[in-house]
Amino acid sequence: MADLINVIAVGILLGGIYALVSVGLNLIFGVIRIVNFAQGEFVMLGMYGTYAGYTYLHLDPYLTLIVVLPCLFVVGAVVQRLILAPLRTEPAMQIFATFGLLMLLENVVLAATGGAAYSVTSRVAQISVDLAGVQVGLVRLIALAAATLVTVALGVFLRYSMLGRAIRAVAQDRSAARLMGVNVDRIYMLTFGIGTMLAGFAGCLLAPIYSLSPQIGTSFILPAFAVVVLGGLGSVPGAYVGGFIVGLTEAFAGYYLDPALKHAVLFGVFIAVLIIRPSGLFGQIGAEEVGLRES
Amino acid sequence: MTNPVPALLSVENVTAGYGDATVLFDAAFEVHTGEIVAIVGANGAGKTTLLSTIVGLVAARAGRIMFRGRDITKRPAHLLPSDGLALVPEGGRLFPFMTVEENLTLGAYSPASRQGLVARRDEMMQMFPILHERRQQPAGTLSGGERQMCAIARALMCRPTLLMLDEPSVGLSPLMVERVFEIIEGLARREGLTIVMVEQNVTEALEVADRGYILDHGHIVRGGDAAMLRRDRDIQETYMGL
Amino acid sequence: MSLENGDHKVTQPILASLTRPQPATARLVPVKTFLGEMPLALLVLAMLLGLVTLFSGDSFTLNTLATALLFAGLSSAWNIIGGFGGQFSLAHSVFFAVGAYTTANLYLRAGVSPWLGLIPAAALAALVACVLSWPVFRLRGPFFAIATMAFTEVALALGNYMEWATGGTRGMSIPFRPGLANMIFRDRFSYALLMLGFAALCLMVVIAIKRSRLGYYLQAVRDNEQAARAAGIDVLRVKLKGMAISAALTGIGGGLFLMQVRVADPSALLSLFDFGVKFALIALIGGLGTIYGPLLGALLVIPLESWLRAELGGLMPGANLIALSVCLILASLFMKQGIVGASGRLAILAGRRWRR
Repeated sequence: MADLINVIAVGILLGGIYALVSVGLNLIFGVIRIVNFAQGEFVMLGMYGTYAGYTYLHLDPYLTLIVVLPCLFVVGAVVQRLILAPLRTEPAMQIFATFGLLMLLENVVLAATGGAAYSVTSRVAQISVDLAGVQVGLVRLIALAAATLVTVALGVFLRYSMLGRAIRAVAQDRSAARLMGVNVDRIYMLTFGIGTMLAGFAGCLLAPIYSLSPQIGTSFILPAFAVVVLGGLGSVPGAYVGGFIVGLTEAFAGYYLDPALKHAVLFGVFIAVLIIRPSGLFGQIGAEEVGLRES
Repeated sequence: MTNPVPALLSVENVTAGYGDATVLFDAAFEVHTGEIVAIVGANGAGKTTLLSTIVGLVAARAGRIMFRGRDITKRPAHLLPSDGLALVPEGGRLFPFMTVEENLTLGAYSPASRQGLVARRDEMMQMFPILHERRQQPAGTLSGGERQMCAIARALMCRPTLLMLDEPSVGLSPLMVERVFEIIEGLARREGLTIVMVEQNVTEALEVADRGYILDHGHIVRGGDAAMLRRDRDIQETYMGL
Repeated sequence: MSLENGDHKVTQPILASLTRPQPATARLVPVKTFLGEMPLALLVLAMLLGLVTLFSGDSFTLNTLATALLFAGLSSAWNIIGGFGGQFSLAHSVFFAVGAYTTANLYLRAGVSPWLGLIPAAALAALVACVLSWPVFRLRGPFFAIATMAFTEVALALGNYMEWATGGTRGMSIPFRPGLANMIFRDRFSYALLMLGFAALCLMVVIAIKRSRLGYYLQAVRDNEQAARAAGIDVLRVKLKGMAISAALTGIGGGLFLMQVRVADPSALLSLFDFGVKFALIALIGGLGTIYGPLLGALLVIPLESWLRAELGGLMPGANLIALSVCLILASLFMKQGIVGASGRLAILAGRRWRR
């Protein structure tokens, strides 16, 4: 029984991390309909940005957010404007471009750091909390809390602010949004920037948990896709729940089957969902079609 | 008949199309303040293209469009609601997963319209009581007629000077068609709105309009007083099945 | 029809030409049959042979050439489904690995000559490809790409797990026993010739497909799947056929590769950067959906990469990949048609102008 609780705890905490990493991807996916293969790399950049702040400015990792977030917003907006906006009508080329971006970011960081592994510790890193007999690292709990906070904040923003409504409008009908006075190009830039900023946010919170390597981006991207597809395209609460589904699946597969196979199980499930219900568990049926066909 | 007051909207020899295909050829017409102008034609005549080009969703390849004395030919579409030009697209194109109320709110997105948004929205709900009833419903669940009314209300949220409607009667029951044209007429006569509509339903459109134009395969072939067009033998035969 | 300029896809030329005489440009570039294409194809292959012979003394260059020719073939194979068919597959490393391990295991365990082993390698790769892609072909563009990427990830996990077939993470090695029957050679020249043969095979298959109904149908599906379906094309079958042929060739390439390097582990063979994406990148730069594009692309990209690795590899780990990724981004922005595609267009325009 204690084992089961442990597995569930691991799963939930992992789920929190996955939810955190995926929230930006979901936004970009849901609004701009671009599969941002480089999303994991922006998480990685957030982690390394945190490391830089920690090492050179001696800031506690959680404080480096102040610098990392705006930087990643700007990077995202620039990437969207220069690389993705021109490719709006070329979905095949978007895949090439974002994959190229993935490779570029990973290898630039690799070149810059010479492949050394870094780690970042926060003052809170060593603290463990006892929950129902299970030892849980505080940093993971913070990540879980952050995931929840961000999901709620994003949901509120999208639902109640004028800008948030404009973003949703663009996701549902770009032309009609234009007719309302929405500058669609600017919304795309903004949305992508927010998406990469959220990835950076995840990176900051994950820096005290994982050891940094340039390849860590690619280890997040597929689970992130799984989360977004499972939870539902464009559904903010869906992506949150999706995170936990993925986390729990991975935890259970890792424990009851071979740990080496846990990824295989996860992706098996992911592919099954892609086939059976591409709009995800919470997405509106047909939502994945909206915007993908222009007619 | 020359009108000393400059036209509110003047489309001058506009050519437009999609990709390799040209759909509109040298289209030209005028709209004066306070009137209802109907541009009628069969399916594929280029009606939607005409309105899309005016509103900036499609780029004109030649010609000029003047609105309130200003050249809007190259003006991006999202700036026009602030200028006072609104379009009700074909089928309404409401945001399907947003409520009726949210759709209306978005109608006032442009900075010029934000003031008094709530008051304006209440006004619309009064003008169209069915919208008040369905205010929290997702717009995708509305019936055809309700959708059209919501779309019109949404377009009115930005307090336009000129309202354009793309086939407002398409897909509606005869009762709804009548209702919609009543609304359009009311908007012009009571609210002082200038209206341009393109329609397949030639009979009804010319009955409501002050002036009309005939669009045929991308060319504007006739224009004039609506009553006169209604009585015209050729038009009756071609378009009204008489 | 959308309201927006530039978003509208004008009616697909391929589909139209199935039912009507070809438009004016065809008179300038006549449609060739398979045999009609042979003179040019054989000329290209002869030039490549000449190139290989030219450098027959230089081991290093021969090595690069061999790799370039291998990738020319692999990329041509990818191009069948990725370029002609418009299905962006990131799973080709899986077929590559399947072919490699099949050939190697048959040779090591059953003593089957790799030459013969290539046949089951191709068959198994094609089978795996069909089984994997059949359920996901209904997915649109980026979703299909993600699914194929996920397949590669699963394959990696399975590959590491199935130690009996792959040697697990320690990898597998093939002992050096030179001999024609073993497909193991002492000299680089033989390998270069082997890869040239592979490239030639792929080229012939590509030409055969392009000039056949399958090629026509693949392009129709790429241009507008719904219209193709409405025109009566069995879309799923067309995609599966294209994928099967593409995977079979890729599997053969995998077998050849493993016999050449003789040492590999799953993460090397299944590496997206080193194989999966490279097939696509080369095809893009050379010209998606063209016959000679991947050939040209490979001859440009592989030597460039090799040079970069040699020059900068010490200074900057990953420099070659940085260069490749920049190429990828720039190519996607500016070179959608690739070199061959762009020069083809220029030739038509020049021809038109000259005729006046």
